[in-house]
Parts: sequence; C-alpha cells; structure tokens
Amino acid sequence: MATTKTTKPIQTDILCVGAGVASLSTALALLRKLKAGGCEKLPRVMVIDKGRNVGSHVLSGAVIDMSGFDGLLTADEIKKIPVEARVNGKRESFHMLFGESKSMKIPWMPPMMQAHGYPVGSLTKLTQYLAGLCEKEGARVYTGFAAVELLEDDKGRVVGARTGEKGIDHEGKPKSNHLPSEAVYAKAVVLGEGACGILTEKLIKRKELEGDREQAYAIGVKEVVEVPADEKRVGEIAHTFGYPADMQTYGGGFIYHVSATQVMICYAYALDYADPASDPHALFRKFKAHPTVAEHIKGGKSVAYGAKVIPEGGCYSVPKVVADGALIVGDGAGLVDTLRIKGIHLAAMSGRAAADTLADCWKNDDFSLKALQPYAERLRATEGWKQLRRVRNVRAPFSTHLTFGVACAGAAWATFGAFPFWQVPMEADYKALKVLPGGRMPEPEALEATPTSPDRLTDVFMSGTIHDEDQPCHLKILDRKKCAECIKRFGAPCQRFCPAEVYRLEEGRIHVDFSNCLHCKTCQIKDPYQNIEWTFPQGGDGPRYTRM
Amino acid sequence: MHIVVCVKQVPDTANVRINPETNTLMREGVESIMNPFDEYALEEALKLKDAHGARVTVITMGPPQADVILRDAMARGADDAVLLTDRAVAGADTLATSYVLSLAIKKLNEKPDLVLFGKQAIDGDTAQVGPGVSEFLDYPLVTYVKSLSVKDGVFTVETLMDEGTDVIEGRLPAVMTVVKEASTPRFGSLAGWIDAKDAAIPAWGAKDVQADIAQCGLDGSPTKVVKIFAPPTKSGGRKVDGREKPAEVVDEIMQLLKEKGVR
Repeated sequence: MATTKTTKPIQTDILCVGAGVASLSTALALLRKLKAGGCEKLPRVMVIDKGRNVGSHVLSGAVIDMSGFDGLLTADEIKKIPVEARVNGKRESFHMLFGESKSMKIPWMPPMMQAHGYPVGSLTKLTQYLAGLCEKEGARVYTGFAAVELLEDDKGRVVGARTGEKGIDHEGKPKSNHLPSEAVYAKAVVLGEGACGILTEKLIKRKELEGDREQAYAIGVKEVVEVPADEKRVGEIAHTFGYPADMQTYGGGFIYHVSATQVMICYAYALDYADPASDPHALFRKFKAHPTVAEHIKGGKSVAYGAKVIPEGGCYSVPKVVADGALIVGDGAGLVDTLRIKGIHLAAMSGRAAADTLADCWKNDDFSLKALQPYAERLRATEGWKQLRRVRNVRAPFSTHLTFGVACAGAAWATFGAFPFWQVPMEADYKALKVLPGGRMPEPEALEATPTSPDRLTDVFMSGTIHDEDQPCHLKILDRKKCAECIKRFGAPCQRFCPAEVYRLEEGRIHVDFSNCLHCKTCQIKDPYQNIEWTFPQGGDGPRYTRM
Repeated sequence: MHIVVCVKQVPDTANVRINPETNTLMREGVESIMNPFDEYALEEALKLKDAHGARVTVITMGPPQADVILRDAMARGADDAVLLTDRAVAGADTLATSYVLSLAIKKLNEKPDLVLFGKQAIDGDTAQVGPGVSEFLDYPLVTYVKSLSVKDGVFTVETLMDEGTDVIEGRLPAVMTVVKEASTPRFGSLAGWIDAKDAAIPAWGAKDVQADIAQCGLDGSPTKVVKIFAPPTKSGGRKVDGREKPAEVVDEIMQLLKEKGVR
C-alpha cells in the first residue's frame, strides 16, 4: 500500500461486511429483536459494501423463496417487496435440452423445484429495499467502501476491518484526491461478502475453518432482455439442463418473465469442467439460441448483463461459520441449495441465526468466542439447513456424468439426502482441467451478434462496470513464468473462462484489462495454477448493476 | 469567507435511453448522481476551505431524495446544506430555477463571498443557471473557470477559452462556473459519511424563501418543451477496405465520388 497516513479509528458495535441479503438480514433482525425485547440501548450497526450503491454487486435469478423472511418482515413489508411478478405455477416448466435444437419437457415439475407464488425479480432491488428497512431501524449502510483487511488483536481475535485507500495511481503513488485507509473497530464482524469473499476465504484459511469438502462453484451469467409486451407470460418461469454443457459438466439455465416486457435469463456452468476451451459466455449465447429458450426472448433486446460465481458444494463444503470475533453468513459460507440453486432464503436464515446470537451477546455484553459459538448451532437448526442436508450429495455425482448426476439427485432428494450413502469426494475446481492436446487453444466459435445475443464486450458495457484506470491492477498475476507454462499446457484458459474478457493472450503474453472486471471471482477459482490473486480495486468501482 | 456551491441531482446520462415510441426518458435502471461538473465546483470550494478556512454551504433544488447529493458533499467536507424542495418549484426552467436559488442564497444567514456552479448540468446542458443567479444576485460572473485563487478579497482565475486561457482578476463577491479541467474531485471518507448521513439538512419551500409563486415552477417558466425526440441513428458509412491494394481502393473511391456527382 502506498502510504501509512493514519486517520482516526472509527468505532462501531457490529460491522457487517457486504450489503447483501445475509448482512442486511443480520442487521435488520438484530435491531428488531432487541427492540422487541425492550432493549434500551441499541448497538450501532454498520454495513459497508464495495459497490457504488447497495445492490451494485449482487446478482441472482431471482425467484425468491420467501421462507427466509417469515417473521422478519411484516406482511405489509412482504407485500411491498419491489418485484413486479410472482411465479405463475401454471406456467412453470423444466426442460432437458439435447443438442442445438431438440429438447424434452419434463412432464412433471419435480416437487422441490416448484415455486408457485414466489416473488420473481431483481436481487439488486430487493437488497436496496432491505437496506432501506435497515436504515429505518437505525443501522447505517455505507457504499463505495471496500473492507480490504480484517483487523486482529494480538490474540488473533477479529476486532474490525480496514477500508481500502482511494486515489492511488497505477504505480501505487497517491494522487491529488488520495483518501487514506480507515480502520473500523467493532465488537463483532459479520462477514457477508458473498460467494468466494476474499476476506472470508483468507480467514477460513488462517483459522483452519474449512469444511469437510472443497467448495465447488459454478459461474452464472445473466442478462435482462426487454421483450415485446406479453401480459400472459408474466410470472412464467422455465428451467433447463443439458445442452450446451457437455455430459460431464453440471450446467443449467433459468428463464424468468419478471414483467410483461422483461425476461431475466441466466446460465450457470459448473467450474469443475475439464475442457480449457470452455467459454461460459459463449455457452450462454448458444443456450439462448436453442429454440426452446429463444422463443422466450423473441424480438427482444438484451439491456443488462452480469456474472457471479455460485457456491454449489452444499453442506459438506460449508466452513466453520464462527471465528473469534467474526461470523460468516450467506453465500460466503457456501449456503446455497444446490438442487434448486437457491440461496436468498438461506442467506436470510443465516443472517437471522447470527442476529439471534449477536442479540444475546449484546444483552450480556459478551462477544467472546464462546458467546458467538451458538450461531453455528442456530444455523444448523434452521429449516434451510435441513434442506441443505437433503441435497448434500446432489452436486458431486454430476462431475461423473450428467445422467448419473440426475439419477443421484432424484435419489438423494427422495431419500432425504441419505443417498448416495457415502460422502462423494470432490476436488477443487481448478484441478479438473485437462491438458490441451498439443497446447493449442482452438479458435473461438464464430457466433453471430444479434440484439439478444450480444458479444462479450457489448455485454460488459451493459454491466455498467467501470474502474478508475489509473490505479494498480487489482488482478495480480503472481508469477509470469507459470503463465508461460499454462499457455503451453492449457492454452491460457483465462481468456475463455472470464465472462468479461479481462484476460487477453497477445504475442504469448497475458494482458489484464482489469477495468472490465465484474468481480465474479471465476479467475481466482479456475486458474489451473492458482496464479491469479483477486485483490480489491478502489471502493465504488466494479459493476453497476441496477436490475440484476 | 463563505462559499455557496449549487449542485444538482441528475440521471446518469451515460446510461440514459430514449423510448423510441413515446420519446420519453427510460428511467428504469438509470442511477441518479451529483452532476459531475458540480463536483468540480465543490472541489474548488473545498480547496479554498483547505487553504483559507472558508465555510462551504451546498444548496440543491430537487425532490426530497436529492438530499443524498448534499450528504455526499458534506461527506467530502462541506459544512452546511440546504434542500429546496417544494411542489411549487417543480418543473422550473432555468429562469425560475435561478430565481428561487438566488432567493435561497439571499436567505442564508451569512452573505456569500463566492457562489460556485458546475459549468452546466449533464441532463439539460443549458449552462444558464449560474449566469441567471449572478443576475438575480447582482454579482459579477465568470464562466468556464479552470483555476481559482483568492487573496485579500481579490480573486484570480484562469478561464478555459476556445483558444487559450483568459486570466481574470476581480473583487469578491462573484459567481463562477467551473470546468472539469480544474481538478480531480476528492472522495468522501467513511468518517465523513458517518457524520453526513445523520446531519440535519433544512428543507425550504417557496414560502420559506419568500418567492413569488407566479415566478416559480412551471408557471414561472417561459421555456416550454414542445417536443422531445431522439435524433435518428446515423447508419455507418461505407468502408472501402483493402490495405494490400491501395491503388484499387483509390480507384473505387474515385468512382464512388463521381457517382455522387463530385467533379
């Protein structure tokens, strides 16, 4: 870091890192619970987020399983959730796609997939709504501030976090508008950074909090498509699996008609794929071109884009969620129902479990490790955790073969998670890549650009992502020698897996266009040499999602 | 020294689209931001504050939620803020806006030495409100300021002209509009935001500034919007390619020019 100019430390009581559903649910539930219990002196609750606004960096389908908000939001607040549609159960469908044009509609909706009546809409708007409720209860949400480091005392207890500097030039020198780092001290830190959170992952490593199994991720790419108005389709949703993923890779699509004129369309692709030439953005385009999918967005125009990794490992991959001074909530803890690819309800439930614990800590003025520990048990007692147990083995068999995966998923669900009867092992995603024969990356497939199939850079533009270009590159290539080896053996898969075209191979050297970055974290996860370190760019930079 | 900075909340026009059927702005997914040129004006005020210990007041006229840009300004170092918000002043053109703003400035308990604006707002692009306020306040006006210093009540500015720079010296008070060449705006610190978020910001209506309602809002605006339309998108020109065979390209271009009637 450029300077050590010190600023006055900031004191708060509870610091939540990241303004997603999990953090905001923690803040809201904590303040509401203490108020309901007649607590006179309420804690100061501070939420900080690296996005420019609340919701700038969140991304989901999103069909929202509201069970996570039961009893947290009032009936009136639930009614006012800013979504335009609810899922229409009569227009729910599930398709297996075979090749470029064939598909089979699964004649019945698997019961665990049914979503009739759930709100369907933008997670960005949901988090903005929750942030408003939090602020009304007295929490304070500050955006544009990245927590870049956890502060620990000499006993290794987490006691706060440090924000990133702003106004540093590309050489690391302060510019005229330099803003120094600020230290925020709190009695407890809630880590709600989302999937593959940088501080969370470092803490897990440092404190050996790893779960039983490696975390497995998928990359989700999404567009909002404006379509000619069709009132009949409001609330229609469709899920697909199969094509264009190969038989060894877990991939699926979602199509949600969130209003008469807006369709949200996403494609998720497991990052344990083997072929270095796999290109999630190109797969997304092929998915959209499949007739079963294309009819949903016919005559439309893509207007917004985003990408984010999804933790898919299930409950065996969930780390220990309590460290001295810190609690891990939401996606950052890997709390996603793998079968339904749903995590919003789990984020809310984990936030509330954390809030219950923090409320006790506050009342007893005891934030010791022992006093924080009940959060882990509370999380395991939630309805959401029981669902996670039921699908605990859903994901792993897919890495063998799609049909085996589907069969196992059904069996796992039907037997309440007992099948397969063993804990199916999973390797870290980056280990799954196979060496390219001859080290030659095949030419990218030529796909025609259309209003509903923009090329990658057009999509990047529509994400609104922006980074001050005169700052140090936040995507650090640790060892250029490893790059050369990777190019030889794998053909530089970063140029394909990045959904934002950050990495370009030119004349044998990888160029990093960090300004395109969508903060999805795919590179950190999938680089076969683990040679890319994702660090924090200037707070407020990154995607500017408004309707993801 | 007391410096007033007038700021405006605008849609982020980098992302604005026009609905081709209704010719209206499509607001869906468009953020509201502080007019970027106003950030430069604010920065000049804060630099003077750093150098001479001035007091900085920010004023905006807009809907109640426009308070967020005032808080942004306070997080960066402004001392006070005033929100002018009233249905009676909504729909104002530049004349009615200048009128109400100037009344608000006159109502401040300390007479300003300097009133700063961005050179224009990125939504209307008129560049008229700064000059309008200078007229209503009867303060001298300097536009397109790119550097500013003050000593003993005398200002020295450089202004950005089509060809080169003018250097102007004068006595305060004055109204100035600032260009982006002035400097890089600073960031609000977290500590600054913590104070700004809960700062009490007075909200004034037309009556509070003793405005003549007939001169406010839509009624007080001689400018009428007759029609809004998106200019037709230009179809790209024809590209005559052939780097390897320049002679053929020249022939082809000559042929095309002749077809167009060029002699």
